Amino acid sequence: MKHIKRALKIHRIFMAQEFKRMMEYKGDFVVGIIGFLLVQLSNLMFLWIVFTQIPNLAGWSIYEVVFIYGLSLIPKGIDHFFFDNLWSIGFFIVRKGDFDKYLTRPINTLFHVLVEKIQIDALGELVMGIALVCVSAPGIEAEWSAFRIIAMIFMIPFVTLIFTGVKTITSSVAFWTKRSGNITFLFYTFSDFARYPATVYNRFVQNVITYIIPFALTSYYPALYIIKGENPLFNLGMPVVAAVVLMGIGIFVWHKGIRAYESAGS
Amino acid sequence: MKRKLKIYTPFVNAGIQEVATYRVNWIFFMLGNAIACLVSYFIWAAVYSSGTKESMNGFTMPQMIVYIVLMFLTNTIIASDGAYVVGEEIREGSIIMRLIKPVSYNATFLFQELGNKLSTEIAIAVPMIITVEVIRTVLSGVLQFNAFNLLLYILSCALAYLVNFYFNICFGFIAFVIKYLWGANMMKNVVIGFLSGTVIPLSFLPDALEKVFLFLPFASLNYTPVMIYMEKYSGAQLWYYIGLQAFWMLFFFGLSKLLWKASVKRLSVQGG
Amino acid sequence: MIHVENLRKEFKKTVKDPGLKGSLKSLFKPKSEKVVAVDNISFKVAEGEILGFIGPNGAGKSTVIKMLTGILTPTSGSCTINGKNPTQNRKSYVKEIGVVFGQRTQLWWDLPLRETYGVLKEIYEVPEDSYKKRMAFLNEVLELDDFISSPVRTLSLGQRMRADIAASLLHSPKVLFLDEPTIGLDVVVKDNIRKAIEHINEQEKTTVILTTHDLADIEQLSKRMVMIDKGTKVFDGSIAGLKSKYGQIRELYFETDVKNAAEVLGYAEHFSLSSDDLSVEPEGNSVKVRFNSSIVPVSDMLSYTLNKINVSDINVKGADIEEIIRRLYEQGVD
Repeated sequence: MKHIKRALKIHRIFMAQEFKRMMEYKGDFVVGIIGFLLVQLSNLMFLWIVFTQIPNLAGWSIYEVVFIYGLSLIPKGIDHFFFDNLWSIGFFIVRKGDFDKYLTRPINTLFHVLVEKIQIDALGELVMGIALVCVSAPGIEAEWSAFRIIAMIFMIPFVTLIFTGVKTITSSVAFWTKRSGNITFLFYTFSDFARYPATVYNRFVQNVITYIIPFALTSYYPALYIIKGENPLFNLGMPVVAAVVLMGIGIFVWHKGIRAYESAGS
Repeated sequence: MKRKLKIYTPFVNAGIQEVATYRVNWIFFMLGNAIACLVSYFIWAAVYSSGTKESMNGFTMPQMIVYIVLMFLTNTIIASDGAYVVGEEIREGSIIMRLIKPVSYNATFLFQELGNKLSTEIAIAVPMIITVEVIRTVLSGVLQFNAFNLLLYILSCALAYLVNFYFNICFGFIAFVIKYLWGANMMKNVVIGFLSGTVIPLSFLPDALEKVFLFLPFASLNYTPVMIYMEKYSGAQLWYYIGLQAFWMLFFFGLSKLLWKASVKRLSVQGG
Repeated sequence: MIHVENLRKEFKKTVKDPGLKGSLKSLFKPKSEKVVAVDNISFKVAEGEILGFIGPNGAGKSTVIKMLTGILTPTSGSCTINGKNPTQNRKSYVKEIGVVFGQRTQLWWDLPLRETYGVLKEIYEVPEDSYKKRMAFLNEVLELDDFISSPVRTLSLGQRMRADIAASLLHSPKVLFLDEPTIGLDVVVKDNIRKAIEHINEQEKTTVILTTHDLADIEQLSKRMVMIDKGTKVFDGSIAGLKSKYGQIRELYFETDVKNAAEVLGYAEHFSLSSDDLSVEPEGNSVKVRFNSSIVPVSDMLSYTLNKINVSDINVKGADIEEIIRRLYEQGVD
């Protein structure tokens, strides 16, 4: 309890610093947020145009597709907002030896890296994600119940950790190889698959995005329960398990990696 | 003489290393793009199997696959780093160094980039063209390869690259206004992605919108070469779009000169 | 206070063939070789002592410091501060130490300096009242007031170094590690920094361990120095001790037209000197002889040489401390 209180306090202080920093570069944030909004708008335009040609996509109505799409943006946006700093580990912090700083401070290094920066650009994804879920939900023929809505909200922190876990694992590779931003990029790209109902992909891809790089667990499976009420054990349980496992592996690999960290130069 | 050259070997080695890292980055970037292509392949497959029509806005499913692959290839061929390079120089202030150099920077940069491209991209263009041809032949049962079309495609790609090159140089000057280059570039890429038909073929858009977009410079980037390769344009129409590419190339070439002059003036007034 | 025993660090260096092929090959099938950066170093530091590490670039000074500060995990051996071990007990260990790397900063780059101290206060859990006292003290010693409200990115190198030292001392560490604290600074600023370090050491009995390749840092600050070369400790003692150990070495230099002068002279046989006490380096027309003058007096050396061959120019150099160290750097320690 004491630890959590202290962690929250440190998080709050880092956040405060980040907001102060942002005030120095206001223009950048407008550009970043609009940029990420445009990315989503462009994808939505695609969906909208496609749906003028077809009644449904592999059996999914436009509302359902948009719902899944919006749901996928929420954890992605939250991870992007809070934990974007992991990218810099793989791109330059380790390679330049700047990781030294974290090791000389009396707080957990992974925690320190995670909370040190926030990325305001992510609001473009997050706001769009929430908006799409809210707009599409009434159009879905589902038995909405308080439980389903609570389940949806309850899942968000877990599925966010799927993103954070994958990033933590791939970033940790840099402790051995000095540079792993590319690997993170490649794995992160798989989250593109999470935007659409998994049934549009073939069996092989479905297996990959369910069990190996499980981004389908971040939106499609929870949505399957929320929309159709199917198999809550798997559709809600599996994402939680995956989140815990991935983050667990991430923490493990990270701490192994620290031992292999070689700093830089002399 | 030999001794003198030896002094430079570490620099040459460093250069090779840098190129090597650059290429490893490039390979990962391409793999990432390939995954994005795979996603759009599956979506289109689902779209065609969910619809009742065999052809949508002039594209059958096999043609759509060819379109996706060609878009990927064309995007790679015409890619240019100019916006980032110019923007970064403006931000760092090192652009001022260009004032004291007697050579045309744009030209040197152009050749440098072309040199880099030719080596890496022929390597992927040839197998991809073969892939496209195999896909087309298998799916339609007839060999569709047309050497003249391929030549036209190469010509159109060359023009598209130049349009993109000069457009990016112009865009780089935005660094005078926006300091967040990464964000600005992302915005640019998204907008271009949509307006150039990378996200969805322009023929899927409402007619009026399609007409406007076809005239805008962005269709000259990758839509025109792809349409040419797919034999969607013929006769006068073909030459009109190639002419339009040439027009936009000249337009951005001129604009880059103007912006350059204006920024020189601005720099010499402000003192950097 | 600080115990370092048989500390050793090996790095794996990836061997990469040049070009794209090489990079790809090393990506999938990395080849590596072992490099020993620090080899079996042991020493002890008492509370309140200032210890200077000196050695040429790449000797392993920074690697030692990085192991002592818990940044690098030693391959073998151990270091403890007050019985705490950095790899097993990192969080409580680092609370007892302060670290400054001359070439990097831990300050928040875009924000006013004051903000950094505010955050560090929380990270190190410094209570409000001791924080105020501490800031007042650091302010006085390091004169932060002039720039404490400026964004860190606008500070000069000297100001930044003072600010970084203050940041490392905020939590009143028992040991302060300074890696090249005066690098790139001009003489006056260097002097200020040294005075501040000295002052803190005297006032608070803070143990200071610093690396430098500026000998003046050592001369002014530390009574004791450890010299490291090629990863091993080659000297541990006072500057006076260094002089008495290596100060007996003299360098005789002469020019002659006699071919094979070195062989003709045969110093080793004549004076029965071991290779520890003698080195002879002929180069063209000249010969450089380093010898231990406590075994062979300079006068004997000179008269023997002058009697044996025809010499056109001759001189003997003694050793000042800079010279000793320069020589040790150049030739290694036998």
